[in-house]
Amino acid sequence: MNFKDLFNKKTKCCLALVFLLGLFMSNQISAQNVTLEGTVKDASGMGLPGVNVLEKGTKNGTSTDFDGRYKLKLTNAKAILNFSFIGFKTKEVSAEGKTKLDISLAEDSNNLNEVVVIGYGTSKKSDLTGAVATFSGNEMRKIPVPNVAEALTGRIAGVQVTSSEGSPDSNVQIRIRGNGSLTQDASPLYIVDGFPVNNINDISSSDIDTMTILKDASSTAIYGSRGAYGVVIVTTKKGKDGKISVNYNMFYGMKKIANTIGVTSPEDYVKWQYEYASLKDNTDLSSYEKYFGSWNDYDMYKGMKGNNWQRQVFGRTGEVQSRDLSIRGGSDKMNYNFNYAHYDEKAIMLGSDFNRNNLSLALNSKASDKVDLSFTVRYSDTEINGGGMNEQNEVSSADSRLKNVVGYAPIPVPGLTTDDTDEAVSENLTHPFVAIYDTDRQQFRKNYNLLGSFSWKLTSDLVFKTELGLDNYNYLDYRYYGRSTYYVKNNPAAERQGMPAMILGDRKDTRFRNANTLNYDLKKIVGENHSLKFLLGEESIDYQRNDVNTALHGYPLSFGLDQAKKLTTQGTPVSVDNFYFPDDKLLSFFGRVNYDYKDRYLFTATYRADGSSKFLGDNKWGFFPAAAAAWKISGEEFMKNASWVNLLKLRVSYGEAGNNNIPTGQMVQSFISSTSTWINGVDNFWAASKTMANPDLKWETTVTQNIGLDFDLFKNRVTGSVEVYKNITKDLLINFPIAGGGYDYQYRNMGEVQNSGVEATLNLNLIERSKYGVSISFNAGFNTNKINSLGVMSNFGASSGWASTAIGNDFLVNAGEPIGLMYGYKSDGRYEVSDFDYNGGTYTLKTGVPDGTTIVGTMKPGAMKLKDIDGDGKVNANDLTVIGNANPKSTGGFVLNANAYGFDLSAAFNYSIGNDVYNANKIEFSTSVPNGQYRNLNSEMADGKRWTNLDPASGQLVTDPDGLAALNANTSMWSPYMPRYVFSDWAVEDGSFLRLNTLSLGYTTPNDLTSALGISKLRFYFTASNVFVWTKYTGPDPESSTRRNSPLTPGVDYSAYPRSRQLIFGLNLNF
Amino acid sequence: MKHKILIAGIILASIFTSCSDDYLDAPAESTLDESVIFSSPGLAEGAIDGIKIPFAETNSYRGRFLPFYGLNTDVEWYNSSQTVSDASDLCTYDAQKNNSQMNTTNNAWAMMYSGIERANICIRGLRTYGNPTAGSELGYLLGEALTLRAIYYADLIKAWGDVPARFEPVNNATLYIEKTSRDVIYKQLLADLGEAATLVPWPGETAATTSVERINKAFVKGFRARLAMVASGYQQYPDGVRRSSDPELSVPNMYALALAECRSVISSGSAHLETSFETFWRKYNQEYIVAGGESLWELPFSEGRGRMLFTFAVRHTTNDQFHANGANRGGTAGPLPFVFYDYDQADTRRDVTCVPYKYGTAVNNIAKQELGALNTWYFGKYRYEWMTRFVTSTNDDGVNKIYMRYAEVLLIAAEAANEIEGPSAAAPYLKEIRRRAFPAAVHADKVESYVDALTGKAEMFNALVEENKYEFTGEMERKQALIRWNLLKAKLDEAKVKMTNLSQHIGEYSDVPATLYFKYKSDNVSLDIYGLNRGEVVKPGADYTDFEWTWTGTATDTKINTLYKAGVNPDNRQFWPIWQVFIDGSNGKLVNDYNY
Repeated sequence: MNFKDLFNKKTKCCLALVFLLGLFMSNQISAQNVTLEGTVKDASGMGLPGVNVLEKGTKNGTSTDFDGRYKLKLTNAKAILNFSFIGFKTKEVSAEGKTKLDISLAEDSNNLNEVVVIGYGTSKKSDLTGAVATFSGNEMRKIPVPNVAEALTGRIAGVQVTSSEGSPDSNVQIRIRGNGSLTQDASPLYIVDGFPVNNINDISSSDIDTMTILKDASSTAIYGSRGAYGVVIVTTKKGKDGKISVNYNMFYGMKKIANTIGVTSPEDYVKWQYEYASLKDNTDLSSYEKYFGSWNDYDMYKGMKGNNWQRQVFGRTGEVQSRDLSIRGGSDKMNYNFNYAHYDEKAIMLGSDFNRNNLSLALNSKASDKVDLSFTVRYSDTEINGGGMNEQNEVSSADSRLKNVVGYAPIPVPGLTTDDTDEAVSENLTHPFVAIYDTDRQQFRKNYNLLGSFSWKLTSDLVFKTELGLDNYNYLDYRYYGRSTYYVKNNPAAERQGMPAMILGDRKDTRFRNANTLNYDLKKIVGENHSLKFLLGEESIDYQRNDVNTALHGYPLSFGLDQAKKLTTQGTPVSVDNFYFPDDKLLSFFGRVNYDYKDRYLFTATYRADGSSKFLGDNKWGFFPAAAAAWKISGEEFMKNASWVNLLKLRVSYGEAGNNNIPTGQMVQSFISSTSTWINGVDNFWAASKTMANPDLKWETTVTQNIGLDFDLFKNRVTGSVEVYKNITKDLLINFPIAGGGYDYQYRNMGEVQNSGVEATLNLNLIERSKYGVSISFNAGFNTNKINSLGVMSNFGASSGWASTAIGNDFLVNAGEPIGLMYGYKSDGRYEVSDFDYNGGTYTLKTGVPDGTTIVGTMKPGAMKLKDIDGDGKVNANDLTVIGNANPKSTGGFVLNANAYGFDLSAAFNYSIGNDVYNANKIEFSTSVPNGQYRNLNSEMADGKRWTNLDPASGQLVTDPDGLAALNANTSMWSPYMPRYVFSDWAVEDGSFLRLNTLSLGYTTPNDLTSALGISKLRFYFTASNVFVWTKYTGPDPESSTRRNSPLTPGVDYSAYPRSRQLIFGLNLNF
Repeated sequence: MKHKILIAGIILASIFTSCSDDYLDAPAESTLDESVIFSSPGLAEGAIDGIKIPFAETNSYRGRFLPFYGLNTDVEWYNSSQTVSDASDLCTYDAQKNNSQMNTTNNAWAMMYSGIERANICIRGLRTYGNPTAGSELGYLLGEALTLRAIYYADLIKAWGDVPARFEPVNNATLYIEKTSRDVIYKQLLADLGEAATLVPWPGETAATTSVERINKAFVKGFRARLAMVASGYQQYPDGVRRSSDPELSVPNMYALALAECRSVISSGSAHLETSFETFWRKYNQEYIVAGGESLWELPFSEGRGRMLFTFAVRHTTNDQFHANGANRGGTAGPLPFVFYDYDQADTRRDVTCVPYKYGTAVNNIAKQELGALNTWYFGKYRYEWMTRFVTSTNDDGVNKIYMRYAEVLLIAAEAANEIEGPSAAAPYLKEIRRRAFPAAVHADKVESYVDALTGKAEMFNALVEENKYEFTGEMERKQALIRWNLLKAKLDEAKVKMTNLSQHIGEYSDVPATLYFKYKSDNVSLDIYGLNRGEVVKPGADYTDFEWTWTGTATDTKINTLYKAGVNPDNRQFWPIWQVFIDGSNGKLVNDYNY
C-alpha cells in the first residue's frame, strides 16, 4: 500500500496548500473563522472523492479526498455550502451552526447536466442543438452479447440494428435513419476514443463508458467525411480520481436452438422419392429402386423414425462464459483504468465457437495545472472457429450448408447416404457433417490501439490539444475447402481437383491519426448573458492496408483444416498475392462556434474541409457546413409558471456531411497482376482492373434537415424527444454497372437517395422511490427511403444469387422507389385439372389460361401457376413485377425497468413493422429440381399438402382427369417437381415481429451484508435472451438477411445460422 | 501570454506545413506502370495473356457463346429445339433481348468488349513504349494483340451484326457510343491482320509459335481470308440481306485478298491436313497442340475450364470410366438425323462426325454404349472416350475450341479461286480435302472423277457448299457460311424436307433401314451396329438384338418444324439481339435493329 501513502502524502500537500490559501484569503476578509468538516458519500455509502465543495457566493472552496472527506474554513458562519460532482445531483446545505456536516449525494440518472461526448469535445446534454442519442456502458453490460453493436438493438429511435443470422460472429448492420447509399456500405462512422475504425466488433462491452449516436448533419458535419450516415462514438472507460475500485463481473449461460425448419417424415420422404422417379421417367424407376427397393416394399418405411439433422447439427447446448475485471483509481494528478475481459462462446452449431480477450489500460496525468496527458492502450484478440452457414464472399452458393442439413435423407439409405467422411465426394447427397467439416474456417482478429494526447491550457480560456494514435489491425483467415465443395471440384487445376484446398488471408491494417485542436472560450469577453466558444482543428489520418492472399490446392485427402493450416507445404501454392493497397489519406480542417444567449437561445455552426486521397485535383476537397439553433422554451419568462416543465427545447438544424466510402485507387486505371487457372499456360496475367477508373470522382454529400423537440416534464418523470428529419444524399458514390463497354463497373457520382421520417423517444419514470421504482422507455423510428434519381438510368436489377444463376435479378432498383424491392412473379396457386382439355392422354391448356412453360416447365395439372401480368397468354420474363419491399415502416423497441428492495427486473423488446422477408429457404426446400432428386422436402410440401400424381395403392401415376382431381381434392400446394427454382410472392412474407430480446432479473445483496466482506456491491442476475418472437413469418426467424454482399439485396433469408435462446446467470462484484 | 500563443501558432503551423497537397497523393502500390510493362517482353506477354482471359470467363465463350452460336443449321441442331425455352430460342431464331441465358451483365458481349479493351490497352502500350518491329518479341506480341482483338470483333459481328467500334482504350468520354457500321470494323480488322501477318512468325518458326494456342502467321492469314469472305458476303443489314455496298469490300477485292492469303499459307508449307480425319479429331481430344499441322489456332482453355465436350460430346448419362464431369454431359446439340445418310458411305468423315449412341448409366463405374433414337445424334468429333486425360471438374472439361483449321483454308481457296479464276483453279484444293476424306482405294472415283466433273462455276460452288457440310458439321462454322452464301433459310427449309423424308423413309431416304441390329463387342462397352448403312436390312446373326430405328408420331413434325421457330424467317434473324442489360446500360446509344 505504498502508493496509497504516496497519494495521501500528496493530498496532504494539497490540503496544506488549500489551507494556506484559505489562511491567505481569510486575512483579507473579516474574521469569524469557522472550520467545517465532514464526509460526502454516495447513495451506497461509499465516500465520494473529488466532490467540489464551495461556499456559496464566494470563491472559497475545496474538494473531497479519496475517502470523501473535506475540511473547509468558512468565511461566514451562516454560509450555504454547495456540493457538486459530475453525475450527481448538486446539493446545497446550510452550514449554520455546524462544524461537522456529512451529506450524501444522489446519482443523477436523467440529468440535464449530463455530459455528452460529441465530435471533438463534449457538451452538456441540455445544450445540444443536434439530434444526439446516448447509450451508457452500464446499460450495455446488461445485454450479454459478444458484439456491442448488437446491444443497441431496439434501444435508440431511428437506429436499426440487424444481425444477418444467429452465429456468434454474425455480421451486425447498423443503419441510422435508413439506407443512404445504393451500392456502397451505408454503415455509420465508428469513432472509438476519437479514432475512426471499420467496426466495433472487437470492443468489449465492459470497456465502454458511453456510446453516442449522432444522427443529424449539424452534429455529424464536424466529422466531414463519412459522417453522412451518422456517427457512433464509443468512449472507453477512463481512470477516475479516488480510491481504487475493483469491478468483477462474470456470467455463465447456456443456449439452445430456437426454431428449426420442418421436414417430411421418412415415410413421406420415400414416397416422394418414388413419385419423383416416376415423374422423371415412368418407364425406368431404377433411380428409385437402386436405393429404396421396389415400391412393393414401401411398407417397411412406414412409421420409421428419422434423424433430425438440424438437431444434430445445431442441437448441442451452447455455452457462454464471460469474465471481466476492471480496476480504476487515481489521484488528482494521475488516474488509471485497467480492464480485462474474456468472452467465450461455444455456439449451438457443431464446430462453431468464438472467444475473445480484451485488455486495456488508460492513464491520465495532470502533469501541471496547465498540462494534461493521457495515454490509452487497447488490445483485443478474437478467435472464431467454424465456417458458419454462409459466407458473404462465397465461391459459389452451391456450398451453402443448410441445404445439406435440411435436405439430407432422414433415414440411412445405403449408397445414397453415408457416415463415412471418406465418401465426401458422394454422388448424391453430402452428409451434413461432411458439408460442415468441408467448409471449416478459422479466423483470428487482433487489434492494438495506442492513443496519446497532450492538452495544454495556454491561458485560462485557450486550450490546445494534440492527439496521436496508432491503430493496428491484423486479420488472419483460414478458409478450408474440403472435397465436397464446389471450389475444390472446379477451381483447382485438373490434377488437383477433388483434393482439399485452403485459402489463407492475412490482412494488416495500420492507421495513424493526428488531431490538433484549439478551444477558445470567450465567456469572459462577451459578458454574463452570452457564451461564445470556438473550436479550431486540424486532423490527418493515414490508413495503410496490405493483404496477403494465398491459395493452396491439392492437400492430401485426409487433411482437415488444422492440418492444412499447419502443414502448408503439403499443398501446392497456386497463388500468393501480397497486395499493397494505395494509402487512404485524409487531411481535414474544421471549426465550430457555440453561442448562446441567456442559456435560452443556442446556436452552433460547424464547418469542415476534408481532403481525401481517393479523389484527384480539385475534387480532393469537400466542404461541409452545418448550423443548428435551439430554443429552450422552458427558460422563457412565460414558462416560469409551468413549474412542471423542466425542459422544453426546440431544435432546428441543417447541414451537409460527406462520404468517400469507395475503395482506394479508383481515379487512375492501374494494372493488376492476377493469377488464373482458366487459360492453358497462363498462370498469371496483367490486366487493367475490371472496374474502370474515374478521374472525375468527388465527394458524396448528404444534406440533412432536422427538427427536434426535447422535453423533460414533471421533474424527470416524463422525458423524451421527437425528431422529424429529411436526409438527401446527392452525388451518390455508386459502383455503377457499365458492362458492355470493356469494364464491369465504374465508381461514379450519380443519383440521389432520400430518407425522411419521424422518430420518437419517451421515457417514463412511473414510480421513483428510494426502495422501489418502475420506469419504461419507448422508442420508434419511421423512415421512408426513396431513390430520387439514378442518373442516366431509370432502373437496374440486382441478384441475390442464392440460387446461383437459376433465378436472375430478384431485386429491382427503381428511381422513385425505395431500395430493396423484391422482383419476381405473382403466384396464382397451381394449374388444376380444370385448366386443361384432356385428350388421348395429353393435357392441353384451355384457351385463356396462361402458359407458364418457360418458367415452370411442362404444362400439366399440378404445376405451379404464375400470374400473367402483361396478359399476352404466356408467363415469361415480361411478367416479373415488384412483389415485396424489405424496408420496415417502423422499427424500435421498449424497455421496462423495475426495482424493489434490491431486486431489479428489466425487459427489453424490439420490433419491426411492415418489412417483407424473402424466404429463399422455403423455395429451395419445396422444390425438387433436376439435380436435387434425393433431397428431402420441407413440411410445406408434406404428403397431403403437395400435389400428387401418384396413386399410393398401385404405385402408378394417375393420368385421367377425374382421378387426378380426386387425388388432389384436399391438397393445396403445387407439385414440387420443377425444372428450376422460381421466386414468386408466395416466398415473400410479412417480416413484422415483436421480440422480447432480453429479460433480466437481478438481486443486489444488502449493503450491511457485504460491506463486512469489503464488498461494496454484489448483484446476482439471470438473463434470458430471445425469449419469444411474435411474428407471422413462417421461417425460423424473421430477422435474417444473409445476402449482404450488396446493399441492394436486403432481407433474404437463405441458409442462415439458426438463432438460439439463451439463459445466463451472472454476478457483478464491486470492491 | 503572447509567447504562448506564438508557440501554439508555431506548433500548428509546423503541422500544417507538412500537410501540403502532396500528402494526399496515394498512388497505387501493387502495380506497374504501362511504360514498364510494355517495354519489357516478359511483362508485356502477361498483358497479352490478359486479353485471353475473357474467353474463359463465366457466361462468356465458355458457357454461352460457344454452346449456342452456330445453331441451328441445315446440319446441326440443338437437340432440345422442340422444347421452347430461352436456350432453344437462341437456336431456333427467336432469341429475345431479355433471354435469361444471355441477358446478364457478364454475358459474352461484355466479355468480348473486356477482351477488346485489354487488347486496345496492349496495342497502345506496345506502340507507345515498346519498339514492336517484325522479328522482335514485342513485335510478335503486338501481332498477337491485333489478332486477338480481331477474333473478338469477328465474333461480335458474327453474332450481332453492327456493334460499337472501339479501337482505343475507353475513357469517360468514349464509354457510351453508338453502333458502328460493320464495314468500318471489317476494314480495320483486315488492316490489323495485314499488319499482324508481318509481325508474327509461321508455325514452329519460333518457340512461341510451336503451339496452336499462340498466334502464328498461318492462322493470321487464314483468318484474314475468312474475314474477307464474310465481309464481302451476304449478310443482314438493317435494310435487308445484301452484300456490303462498300467498294473496298467488293467481291473481286475481297476474294482476291482471301485467295492470296490462302495461297500464301498453302505455299508456305507451314500447315497441312492430318493424314486421317479420325486421327485429327482423336488428337484434338487428346489435346495435341503442336503447331504446323491442321489446327491453326485454338481457344486455349486450361484443363479445368471450357465446355466443349461438356456441351457437344457424345452424351454420357453418368460419370463413368471415361470421365467424372457429372451426369448428362455432352449431347446438348447434334447433327441433324439425316446428315449421316447424306455422307458417301466410303467417306471416313461420316462415322467420326455422326454418332447414333450415347453412354448409358454406369454400373460399377462402367458405362456401355446405348443406341438412342433416329432423331437424336451426337457429334463424334468430341468424345470423352478419346481423351487421354480424365476429367474431374464437375462443370468444365478443359478441351480447347478449334478456332480454325487448315481444311478451311483449302476450301476458302477453292471458293475464291472458283469465283475469280474458275473451277479448274479450285479443283486442286477440293481434291486435297477429299483425298484425305476417302480411302486411297476409292480416290480415282470419289476424288479425281468427282472433282473433274465439276466443270461449271456454279457446279463447283454447289459442290463446295456440300463439302463444307461434310467437313465442318459439328464445328458450328456452317451458320456463318450459309449466311454469306445467302442460303440460310433455303438450306434450313431443305433440311426440314429431308427430315420429313427420313422420318417417313421416303425419297432420298427410302432405303434407310428401319431396324438396327446390335451386339456388344468383346470389350462389352462398344456397340457392333448393323443396319446403319443403306441396304443393311438382313439381320446379320442371332446374337444381334433388334432395335427399332424410326422416327414417327406427331412429335416428329413438331421437332422437325422447330429447326427454326414457326412464324420466324431466319433470314431476318441472322443475328441475336443485343441483350436488354446492354441496351439499358448504353445510356440510350444502343438499339436493336432487325425488328427485335
